[in-house]
Amino acid sequence: MAPVVRARNLQVGYGEAPVCAPVSFTLGEGRAVALVGANGSGKSTVLKTVIGLLTPVGGSVEVLGRPVDERDVQFRREVSAVLDDDAYFPALTVAEHLYLTARGHGVMGAQQEVDVLLEEFGLADHARATPVSLSSGQRRRLLLAAGFARPRSLLVLDEPEQRLDQRMRARLADRLRAEREAGGAVLIATHDPDLVAAVCTQAVLVDDHASVVLSAAEAADRIARVAL
Amino acid sequence: MTSVREPGDARGDADPRTVDLGAADVDDDGPAPADLGPHDLDDDPRVGDFELGEVPSARSIRRFTARAARARAGASVGSLLTDVYTAVTSVVISVLIVLGVVQQLGEALPPAPPVHAPGGLSLPALVAVLLLAAVGALLSTAGRLGPVGAEGPQAAWWLALPVDRRGLLRPAAARGPVVAALAGAAVVVVLEAGLLASSGATLVRAGLLGALVAAVVVLLAAVAQSRGVPRRRTAVAGDLVLVAAPVVAVALVLTGRTPTALPAPSWGVVVVAAVVAGLLAALVDARLGALPGRTLREGGSAATQAVGAVVSLDSRELGRALTGGAAASSHRRVSRLRTARGPATALVTADLVVLRRSLRHVVQLVVAAGLPVLATVVPQLASTVGVLLAVLVGGWMAASASAEGARWAEMAPVVDRLLPLEARTVRRLRMVVPGVAVLLWTVVALGAVGIWAGAPLDWVLLGLAAVPVWAAAAVRAAYRPAPSWDKPLVATPAGALPTGVLQVVARGPDLIAFCLLPLWIAIGLHTVTTVMVTAQVVLSTVAVLIGSSVHDKGWLERMMEEQDERKKAGA
Repeated sequence: MAPVVRARNLQVGYGEAPVCAPVSFTLGEGRAVALVGANGSGKSTVLKTVIGLLTPVGGSVEVLGRPVDERDVQFRREVSAVLDDDAYFPALTVAEHLYLTARGHGVMGAQQEVDVLLEEFGLADHARATPVSLSSGQRRRLLLAAGFARPRSLLVLDEPEQRLDQRMRARLADRLRAEREAGGAVLIATHDPDLVAAVCTQAVLVDDHASVVLSAAEAADRIARVAL
Repeated sequence: MTSVREPGDARGDADPRTVDLGAADVDDDGPAPADLGPHDLDDDPRVGDFELGEVPSARSIRRFTARAARARAGASVGSLLTDVYTAVTSVVISVLIVLGVVQQLGEALPPAPPVHAPGGLSLPALVAVLLLAAVGALLSTAGRLGPVGAEGPQAAWWLALPVDRRGLLRPAAARGPVVAALAGAAVVVVLEAGLLASSGATLVRAGLLGALVAAVVVLLAAVAQSRGVPRRRTAVAGDLVLVAAPVVAVALVLTGRTPTALPAPSWGVVVVAAVVAGLLAALVDARLGALPGRTLREGGSAATQAVGAVVSLDSRELGRALTGGAAASSHRRVSRLRTARGPATALVTADLVVLRRSLRHVVQLVVAAGLPVLATVVPQLASTVGVLLAVLVGGWMAASASAEGARWAEMAPVVDRLLPLEARTVRRLRMVVPGVAVLLWTVVALGAVGIWAGAPLDWVLLGLAAVPVWAAAAVRAAYRPAPSWDKPLVATPAGALPTGVLQVVARGPDLIAFCLLPLWIAIGLHTVTTVMVTAQVVLSTVAVLIGSSVHDKGWLERMMEEQDERKKAGA
């Protein structure tokens, strides 16, 4: 059975110039891989390449045994990605954004699911508010909730800890651990050593010179020591 | 709560039901129910404790969003009628203005000379050159804006859905060709009726052909986008067509093969153009689902930025939207700035690098130099007004094109502050590159004016004396504050004018109007005198002083504010 993500000597970048050393890793079901590294090292670029928003500069990446193509409907069904898109429909409420995601993926009984997510992500009191009236942290919670409001085989998160308070970070870590334990695959770029230690089974240090595969504990330790 | 889904547990297949993005599940004031079509899908994803039904159609998703927007816009029937009335009135006024311009042009133009003068360009040839330039500009703009794009919320919330993207993108894909067709028809009608005095059926056919060709250009850009051609490449192709226009004009002048009439389009040509446009539209529609998400995001972002700039009358932001949208790879060859010997030369060198890297502005410079040359070689346009307008527009285009460094610095002032230079000095240094560019433009443009009026050297000398004014005006315009919408409106027959915006937009052009008076008088009198050159030197000095001012407000406004403050302090 093909792993959920397989990257072989994957070179990523904008145009033809790679932004970091080639990356190789395999992410299977029930596993979580963290991409760690300094600002600008290329973590987000790797994520964007894995979800098909960028074309690989070199090497290859496969998701569920097939080359990445975000134009493929099946690919979009399987991959849930939360990047730092701070953009919302001005006329839709918080709850409606989540309905749109859930219903758009064919989820029956979306209302119940959305209610659970609103509660879990601390947005229940803002369900009828429009996102423009929320704080940046609350908008971030909405984006993260949308990532869970739909079925998925792979969950991709770009620095999910950003703009979250400590309590929400801990809750997110629990959510991601449950995701992994339920058989999902999680790929995150992060600077949070606690998140890496709590959720991830492996880490990839993304760097200009060489990308290294580390254990989650090593990665968490390195983030804490070197302040990556 | 998440759970592992067993293989073959395709609940949607077992129990196909229609999903409804309807009002029952949203707020009371939310959108109404939407009809949803079936969608065949393969295996279900592994995680998510969801009961899955069928995925809604793209159209219903689009409608869901649109209905929510309408429901929450708070639009009453009265406000809707007011909007319709305003829109209709605006269109009627615009059409009347265009018709007025066309009529004025027709009456103001002298008849064509009976014998074609050597070294001249006929009016039909000029129209052909202008249409070629318009095609280039359209293709370049279409490439920079996508032409198909998904705006921020659409990119973030729609593109990730497992639906056929064609249904989501159809309105965005149709917008570009329709707008281009309207603009193309307007341009062709003005040129045909105003310059070539066409009328009746010929004008109708020309207008239709103009609309269809414009739509075809945008559709071709969309086909290129769907085939993965980088937007920059499409934009560069348009720029090359644009720069070819003045080159063709010069070639026609030099070879003397200027046509005396343009062929009138037949209905057959119009029908062929319509068929081509229809086929291309069908092709684009079929390939909408193949558009990469990245280009949709980029195109939507550039278009949103450009529309925002147009609505807020901010030409600098519009320039940034068009330039940034089709910038080369973010990893460029690193310029070592070898000519930088200190902060001053570093600033000038950086401005030069910015200009060198922007093909759009280099093309703009070439076109700017061509305008006065064209005005002086077309007998019907080589009048005082025609040449003055050509020098005014060409000079402003050249100066603006070369002040890109100043415009970027205005957006990110921290770059200027990093250098150990006084703010006034920074602004004066930012005039160097526009000054050099306008100097080159002057040699060509004022040289042509000199040949038209006699004594070319005198005209070039006057032009050189005027160079600092163009440069100062470009820098003053680049550093102008954001348009202010909180000042009182002034009622005019054409509608209310926001004075705060006009004040800001006028910064830069005001120097062109007043500090170039000797040049305008010289063109009016067809002669250059020593007094004019001397006066131009004095006014150029004044322009540099004003252009290097770091105050956002005018002298009078600052004085009044000081008075108010003194009064308050006294009270």
